[in-house]
Formats: sequence, structure tokens, C-alpha cells
Amino acid sequence: MENTDLQQIVEQASQEIAAAENEHQLNLLKSKYLGKKSTLNGMMKKIGTLPPEQRPEFGQKVNKAKKRVEKLLEGQAEKVKEAAYRKAVTQEAIDLTMPGRKTNFGSLHPITKVWRELEDIFMSLGFEVAEGNDIEDEFHNFDALNTPPDHPARELSDTFYIKDDVLLRTQTSTVQIRVMQSHKPPMRFISPGRCYRNDNDASHSPAFHQVEALVVDEGITFADLRDILNIFVKKMFGPHIESRIRPHFFPFTEPSAEIDIVCVNCRGKGCHICKNSGWLEMGGAGMVDPNVFDQLGIDSEKYTGYAFGLGIDRIAMLKYNIPDMRLLFENDIRFLQQFK
Amino acid sequence: MNISYNWLKEYIDLQLSPQQLIDKMTFAGIEIEAVEELGKELRQFQVAEIIEKKPHPNADQLSICLVNTGQEEIQVVCGAPNCKSGQKVVLAPVGSKIGDLEIKKVKLRGEESYGMLCSEKELGISDNHEGIMVLPDNSEVGKDLATQLGLNDVRYEAEITPNRPDLLGMIGIARDLSALLNRKLQLPVAEISEDKTPIETLLSLENTEPKLCQRYLARVIKGVKIAPAPAWLQNRLRSVGLRPINNVVDITNFVMMEYGHPLHAFDYDKIVGKKIIVRRAKQGEKFTALDEETYNLNSSDLVIADSEKPMALAGIIGGTNSHITAETTNIVLEAANFHYIGIRRSSSHHKIFTDSSYRFERGMSSVTNEFISKRAASFILEIAGGELAKGALDSYPNPLPLNIVKLRPSRVHKLLTIEISSEQIKQYLEALGLKQVDSNEEELAFQIPSFRQDLTREIDLIEEIIRLHGYNNVQTFQKPQNITDTHRFYARRRVQDAAVNNGFSEIINWSFGDPDDLDKLQLAPEDPRRKTVKIKNPLGPSFSIMRSSLIPQLLKTALYNIHHGQEDLKLFELNKVFSVRRGQKLANEELQFSGLMCGLAQPNIWHTKTRQVDFYDAKGVAEDILQILHITNVSWLPSEEPFYQPGQAAKIAYKKLIIGNVGKMDAKIAATFNLEKPLYLIDINLEKILREIKTKLPQFQPIPKFPTVQRDISLLIPAKYNWSKVKKAIFQINPKIIKNINIFDEYKGKNVEKGWRSISFSLQLSSSTKTLTDDYINNLIQKIIDTLKNRFSIQMR
Ligand SMILES: [Zn+2]
Repeated sequence: MENTDLQQIVEQASQEIAAAENEHQLNLLKSKYLGKKSTLNGMMKKIGTLPPEQRPEFGQKVNKAKKRVEKLLEGQAEKVKEAAYRKAVTQEAIDLTMPGRKTNFGSLHPITKVWRELEDIFMSLGFEVAEGNDIEDEFHNFDALNTPPDHPARELSDTFYIKDDVLLRTQTSTVQIRVMQSHKPPMRFISPGRCYRNDNDASHSPAFHQVEALVVDEGITFADLRDILNIFVKKMFGPHIESRIRPHFFPFTEPSAEIDIVCVNCRGKGCHICKNSGWLEMGGAGMVDPNVFDQLGIDSEKYTGYAFGLGIDRIAMLKYNIPDMRLLFENDIRFLQQFK
Repeated sequence: MNISYNWLKEYIDLQLSPQQLIDKMTFAGIEIEAVEELGKELRQFQVAEIIEKKPHPNADQLSICLVNTGQEEIQVVCGAPNCKSGQKVVLAPVGSKIGDLEIKKVKLRGEESYGMLCSEKELGISDNHEGIMVLPDNSEVGKDLATQLGLNDVRYEAEITPNRPDLLGMIGIARDLSALLNRKLQLPVAEISEDKTPIETLLSLENTEPKLCQRYLARVIKGVKIAPAPAWLQNRLRSVGLRPINNVVDITNFVMMEYGHPLHAFDYDKIVGKKIIVRRAKQGEKFTALDEETYNLNSSDLVIADSEKPMALAGIIGGTNSHITAETTNIVLEAANFHYIGIRRSSSHHKIFTDSSYRFERGMSSVTNEFISKRAASFILEIAGGELAKGALDSYPNPLPLNIVKLRPSRVHKLLTIEISSEQIKQYLEALGLKQVDSNEEELAFQIPSFRQDLTREIDLIEEIIRLHGYNNVQTFQKPQNITDTHRFYARRRVQDAAVNNGFSEIINWSFGDPDDLDKLQLAPEDPRRKTVKIKNPLGPSFSIMRSSLIPQLLKTALYNIHHGQEDLKLFELNKVFSVRRGQKLANEELQFSGLMCGLAQPNIWHTKTRQVDFYDAKGVAEDILQILHITNVSWLPSEEPFYQPGQAAKIAYKKLIIGNVGKMDAKIAATFNLEKPLYLIDINLEKILREIKTKLPQFQPIPKFPTVQRDISLLIPAKYNWSKVKKAIFQINPKIIKNINIFDEYKGKNVEKGWRSISFSLQLSSSTKTLTDDYINNLIQKIIDTLKNRFSIQMR
């Protein structure tokens, strides 16, 4: 008789507990089924009316039912709590597509970016970095570079002059001369900087940027020059970009060469940027002319060296696909902010 | 590995002080980790002679000795029964120390004593405390004891790299030094006279593990007398940190320390069956070692056994069942070579690490056995007496041929760049014990001695050559030229980065300037920027000078952008400006930083309320730049630049140097550049900073151990006092505790009287020595308020 009663009570409690939605309802159910006035409690009080031999078994059964109800209450309390938490979290959901609070940092000029990259590449290859004056004398810009006074490059129309023998440097080779005057070989450095030519059109800027490299030591060969150019091109433009050098003339190098790289746009197939040649001219190079060494008091029998020069602006244009040199100096913020 | 300076000198005439020797060993690749001066303690005691002994009048146990110290005759009270007149004894003079006890002039039962006659135990020489130490009659009175006993020495603790087990003995070290110093190595000789009894009649040998035991050589000596070893031998062992035990064991240890190759001695009479068996242990076999631990052996352990029991864990430790005791009269002397793999396995498995296992697990030679066995035997015969059985039992199943390694002198040059003749190469390598066996012009062939198993390839020989030739004798070719001005190089990048992080975009303009712009900026005639460098053939009149300021072009760039609808601008240029250098052909070229801000401080974005830029935005940028250049202690004073609005522009002063200006551009002047909106400029002479200000890198400051406390204060300040004055006054009150002052509000207007302003700030307080209490903080705050009231008539809000 008691068995069925107990089962019924537990069954009913189970249903009501499962339906409870909050803590308050659970508290009410707790007192209904386990409180002083609950049926289970009442049954426990009845225990004294039973024959002694039945008492233990009866007690155990009632206790078991109580435990069961307790367990159900606890389980449901956990569920109710979790549901409340989930609900609160859902209510806190926000629009994830709205823009974040970012730092509005500015941008380095693309020329500066390439300038730094050049410095970093060459410094990683053991080069030092030398600086020099923009305003130079004729000796360092021309004479010392094996450019005699009647050379066409010295004509006034190409060069900005300050005084008769003072000018705006036309190349950063001036720095190389100065370092060779102030230091002894071995030396291995680059000189990035601003140069000037009296020239102003779509493809020429009167002020432009260049990096030149000079290595002087015993046993420096043409192979070292090719090597460094190859490494540089691949580091700057990517491992798949090939380069070549072809004969040319510069007054201060012998043999002299111009450096070409495979067109970064068409990869050599031919396009408007490379004028369908598949190649882009990058700069000049060569083995330092013994005359240059002799003039500076460096033993040209003992030492050999190579030098090369590259246009920073041109590299920036190629790297960032900038079609017109003038954009570099217009400083339109809509242009500048593209290179963050 | 411990090395004794004196011992080393037995084999090589060093001609080096102990200190010089450290350098030589270091460059031979033997790293010295510690140096200990031996005998130092004993140097305070001296040899003295008892001239007269008479009984103490007040004590039967004591006697009074008149002692000659070599300099004077003194009275010493002595309690030792063995002291006699005429003896040479050891005196601890007044002022010397035995342990912590200082010897003083004392009265003993009414008789004065000027020192103490010492026992060997008191001197720390042995455990002998039966009376005072008595020295031989020929001892020199007055000599210090360390010298008398030959105990002045230097012990080096060397780290021997695992490839050089040959350096685990004095001779190996001496050989390297001999090669390095080009000085002769004096190798010991061993002469033995054998008895008529063939060893085979006394003992037999079975080696069942030829792989693990590459060689086993045994000799038998009958009739030895076990006793303490002579003093010189004990001293040698002590000098390398070994404890003397008895003559035979000490001799095996001596030869081990000499040749780096361990030996062992067994008590012949304990060998059951008179047979030595080299075998693997049985699984679970019990063995009690000399460390008095009992080990459970397993089948991967190699043991030296007799017909019944293991007597030693091969190459690692001997057993108590067969070791040399005072009763031993007949011995077996073992000189074996065990494979390093087996030794390493057993030693690490049983966690037994001995001088022997340390050496065997690095790989020993199988050739030296013969010699060291003779060497040890000859010492035993000499010191412990006895008869050496004829011959030796020698199991050497697979004699290793000596390796030949070929070397091309051209390769030496190719790798090391040094020019070194074949003759020199030969000299270096033969000094190391190699032997040239063949040579032609291209190639030399060398036989490698058994103790240099590490030399197997040409490159190994090249390493030896350069080690002896001297690493630092190799010429270097690249010299850093210091062409790069590193400070300038990075300062420039850091300033650019600071501006970019502040939202600025970098612009690059040509270097040509328009002279009219300098008029527009109303620069005074004497302003250095008026001394411009003029171009003879310019592009046009407005490009006819080299710019002396970056500002005109900055303004023009701003105008260009405003015309294109971009009104919120933060622009900077970091570039050269030029001016005439008086009396010089070339010009001044200086790095300048100039920035411009106008419009909104931040883009107008939904979540962040924005505002127009103001002076403090511009100042913040300048402060950031100064901070990353590590410039502190600048003052912000009213600017004297003509093109700024007075009252909203500051010059940046570092001591007497003006390094820049920050502020609002004068509206009327801006209008001459067709700019209508408020503009803020930052103009910093980077050249001046780089040239004239020496800055230091930030140096680490300990993180405070005690918590930082924050207190907020609001004040009303008369407008005539600027913040920097107030701030300075606050810091001065207790700069050790007041770590930071952070203004969080400034207010003028309603509820604040005219001529006053309200400033609220938080103080950050912490101490490096204690946690600040409320009382302490309240007192400090009260002090701050009182000071400010007195000095600036400031009121609390
Ligand atoms: Zn192309």
C-alpha cells in the first residue's frame, strides 16, 4: 500500500519540479514535498503506529523517496540557474559588424618605406649606412668620379649650381668618395639620399632618391657584384624575380653595367610598364675604376671593389604599382594613406 | 677533474705561474671553473725545536718547553707526553688560528705560554692525536709547515669536455700543455722485476663478454704489507681531492689520476677457485659494494666474479667481499677496459657514480692497460713490498688497430686561412702523441694514439692544429668601420614612427623653397633661416632657394589637401633644411621635423565623441617625440616664433637650448597662405638634438615591492600660477614617495571665481621600503595642501 503511495508522490513531485521555471517555484515545491506539513513527513510520523519489525523497512523507503525528491529539486535548480544565465547572455548580444575602436595611425611615405627596406636588406648583408651632404663641390660630384670637366654630364643644364664649383649632387656617389677619403679599406656600405637633376617632366623629378653601394676589399670580384645584385633583387621583389646585367658606360666603373630585372608586372611576358621588353631597368653598376682608387690614394693593385646605384623612387613605384612619379611628391593624403 | 699544479710539474717544466697556467689551459680548451690555493692554512705554523723540557711546577700533566723558533727562544706549555727536548715540532705561534681558535699568550697554572705545540689532528693533517707531531730531525727551524710538508700547491677544478677522456689524468693535461707550450713531456717509466712463479699457476682468467670488456689484464703480487701510504703519495692524492686509504689502494688511485685510467685491486685470498670470471650478472644477483650498499644486479650489468660471487661491478665499484684490508697479503691488480655503453648503463641504473665510472663511461684506451699495470705494480713492490708473479693474464680478444687519419695541408689553409707548413703541422700533432706515418706533398698521414679516439677525420686534426696554433692568432679581415651613425639612423626612424603612431602621414617635398614664403612667415631679417642657399639656375623664382624651413611646403600641402576636400589633416615631414655656413664652401644641412594638424582630433566615429584639435594635441606629439628620444626635463616657455599665436604657442627649451616650437599658427599669417582654419604646428630641430644632447638609454628601475596608493585632490589655483610651478612644488615635498601626478580635470567658468581655475589630479604614492599607512598618507596630503596654500594661496575645493 505504502509503496504505491510513495511512488505516486515521487511521480507527482517529479512532474511539478520539471515544470518549475524559477527559484521561487522550486522553494514552494520544496516545502510542499519535504516541509513539515508534507505528506512524506506525515508518513514518517506514522511510523510509530506500525509493528516494530516493519518500521526499519518503511523508514528506509520514505527516506529514499525524500532523497529522490531532493535530488530532483537540486537538478532543476541547476537547470533554472543555467537557463537564467543563458537568457542574460543572449540579451547582451551586440552587432558584431559595427566598426571597432581602432588606433588611427598615420602612414610613412612609400619612398620612406622602400628606403628603410633597402637599408634593412643591405644591413642584413653586412653593409653599413653612410650619409652625406646634398650640397656638394664639383670635385666630389664629378672630378673624383672620373668625370672630366668637358664631360657632357657637367653641363649647366643638367645640374643645379649654387656657386661655380658648388652644386646639388647628381648622385650619392659623392658620399662614397668622402667615405673613401675618411676611412681605409676594407669598406662595405650603402649611401641612400636625395639627388637633383635640372629636369622636370612626367618621368623625371628634379629631386629624387637614390641608394648607392660600395664595397672595397682585397679579392672583390665581378662575381661578388652579380651575387649581391641577385640577392638584393630577390629580397626586394621576391624570390622569383630574375635579374641580369648588360654592358654600359659609367665614367667611374670599369667594366660598367646596367641592371635589369624581370618586369614585376608581367613577369617577362611584355606589357605597357616594360614597354613590351619584359625587362625593367633598375640602375647602374660596375667594378670601381682603378683611376678612382688611385686618385684617392687607395692601392688599386691591392684592392678591388664594386659599386652600384639604384633609384629608390623607381623601386617604390614598381613595388606599389604607382603609375606616375608626380604622385610621390603631390602628398595627397588620399594617396599617402594607401601605404599604411 | 681536479688538477694539481705541483703534480703537473712532474711531467712538464711549466715555467708558468699558477695564474698564467689558467690562461694557457683556457686556450687549450680546458675550462677552469675554480682555483683553490692549498696549504694556506698550514703556512701560519712553523717548524720549531724544543731546546729544553722541564716539568710544570703546578701540574703533573704539563711540561714547560723552551722552544727555538729560528728567531727567538720562547716558552711554551705543552701537555703532550711525547714531547722531548731536541725534537723538531710544529709551533702555532701567538696570533695563528687553529680552526676558529686563536692562539693567544696565556698563563697555564701560573706559567706563561707563547703559543702551542700541535698534534697532526689539530693541524688537520691526519686523525692522529697521540701527542704532538714530530718532524724529521733534518727539518729546518723557522720554515712554515706547508713548505716543510710540501703542501703548498694550487688545485684547479677543470671542466673536461666529453670528447676528451684523455684529459682525465695529469699526463693528458701535461701532454696538451707540452704541445701548446712546445715544451718536453716527461713520461714516467715503470720497471718491474718479476718473480719466477708464473701467474698461470696462481690464477686463471675467463672473459665471457669480449664486447663489454674489451681488455682485462691482471697481475698477482704476493706478500704485500698493507699500511698507510708514504706522505708524498698521500699528499698527491689530497692535492686532487682524494682521501688516502692504504698503500695499495692509494697507488691504484695515484696511477688513475696520473694516466686517467682506473685500476682496481682484489684480495687474492678471497678469490674462490682462484679464477677471475668477467661475466654478466645473474638476474637478481646480490652484490654489496664498497659504499656499503647492497645492489640487486641484473643481466645487463657486467661483473668481475670468482667461481662463486661477483667481486666488483666492473669498472664502477669494488665489493666488500674482496677488497684490500689491513689483513690482505696477496693481491690481484686489475687493469681493464670496459665499454663505455655498459658502464653508462649500469652506473645510471644503480645510481653509482665513481671516479672510475666517470672515466670508463667516456671511453678509455685499450692500449695503456699494459703500462699502467706495470706502473702500479712497480709502485706496490716499492712501497708495499711483495713478490710479483711472472707475466700477466691478459684477455684482449679484439685488438683495435691504430687508426690512420690523412690530412691535406692545403685544407688547413682553406679552412683557417693561416699559412702553416707541413713541418709545423707535424710538430703540433706529434706533440699530441700522433705519429706521422706517411707523407707526400698533398697529404700527410698520422697514426692516432689509442687515447685519442676522438680524432677520426681530417677536420678533427685541423681542429687540433688551430687549438695549438691559437684561435686568436687567426687574422681577421673585416674591421667594423663605424661608418653608420647608429644613433642618428635610429633616432630618425623612431621620430617618424612616433609621428605615424600619432596618426600623422608623412609627406615628402622637394628641397626647393620660395624666398617670398619667409616674408610671409614674418621671419626677422636676422633670423638664421633668412641666410638661404640660392640656386644659380633654378626651375623658377618660387624654387630658387634651398629651403630653410619645412613649414611653407607643409602649409601648401595642407592647402592642396583641403582643396581636395580633406579637412582633417595630420601631416609631417622629416627632412633636411639648408642655410649658408659662413666662410664655408658648403652649406649647413640639418634634419628638421615639422608637423601640422587641423580639423578633427579623431575621425568622427559612432562610439567616440570627437572634437577639434587643440594646442595639447600638438604638444602631446612633441612630448612623444621627446620621450622616444629619451629627452627629459624640458621646459615649455612662451614661443618667440613670429608666426604663432601668442599665448597658444610654446618653445621647447632643454637647458639653454631651444630645440623646437609647438603651437597654434597665427590666423592672419595662415591667411597669407590661403588657410582659413585653425592650424597647429610642431617644429623640432632634430639636428640640434642629435648634435648637442647626450641622452642615456632608460635603465631598469626595480618594480616597487609595495602597492601604489592613489589619492585624488581638487584645488582652486589663481590663474597667474602655471601648472608646472604647482607640480614642482608638490613633487618637492617628498620626491621619494610621490611617484606621479596625473591631472584629470581642469575647469574654468560657472562656480569658479574669475581669475581662478579648478584643477583635479590624482597622486600616485608608493614607497620602496614599506606599505604606506592611512596616517602617513593623510599627513602627506595635509603637508601638500599647507605648502600650496602658503606658496600659491591655493584653496581646496
Ligand atoms: Zn612588363
